[in-house]
Amino acid sequence: MEENKDFKPQAIIEVTEDGPIKITGNFLLSDAKRDIMESPTEIYLCKCGRSQNKPYCDESHKK
Amino acid sequence: MGNERSFRRGRKYTNGEIIVYWKPDSCIHASHCYRELIEVFDPGKRPWVDMSGASTEQIIETVNMCPTDALTWKFNDDERNMDIDPEHTNHVNFRRPELMVAGNETNEEPVSVKIMPDGPIVLNGTFTLNYSTYRKDVKESILSLCRCGASNHMPFCDGTHRKVGFTDN
Repeated sequence: MEENKDFKPQAIIEVTEDGPIKITGNFLLSDAKRDIMESPTEIYLCKCGRSQNKPYCDESHKK
Repeated sequence: MGNERSFRRGRKYTNGEIIVYWKPDSCIHASHCYRELIEVFDPGKRPWVDMSGASTEQIIETVNMCPTDALTWKFNDDERNMDIDPEHTNHVNFRRPELMVAGNETNEEPVSVKIMPDGPIVLNGTFTLNYSTYRKDVKESILSLCRCGASNHMPFCDGTHRKVGFTDN
């Protein structure tokens, strides 16, 4: 992996293997369909497709 | 909505179209901002700037009334910052040019996390992606992550959501 000392990520995207996508840092979440526009410091997004509370994870992946 | 980040003792707020910078040291409490647009500039609230309270045009108009550089603004899209009329404007080009220097500020842009209807998550900006032992540093670029759970190329979107009929509901 190439090391880049000048690289300053604004956000960290953590894709868990069996769970959600965790995003932390400086980011802006938008979802035109649900009229969401927000800038929290941490979110968990569904990536299994089964959440009843999309785009967020509601732990449906465990069922 | 609203976006509040520390920035050199000041703060910045965005609605996705413009960024408003707040430099508290410069404020002389002329009060134009909240007398004109309390829906956006409300000193009684935290954060005191709510970028969803009015249209972009109204916010620009009110920021331009600030007699100091306590409130300044610019477009998120840098191309739109080129042709600004210097008359009566608090655009950062004229009031706080240090914010326009490449590298001073552009690296602070929040990463855009866009949920596509019945589709993937589109990430745009400068961020680190971690997936198991895989790690990727992405600089000012775009990539799509699977949201349907059926991609054959996890964690990335490969278009399979259309085949499996993934819907947002």
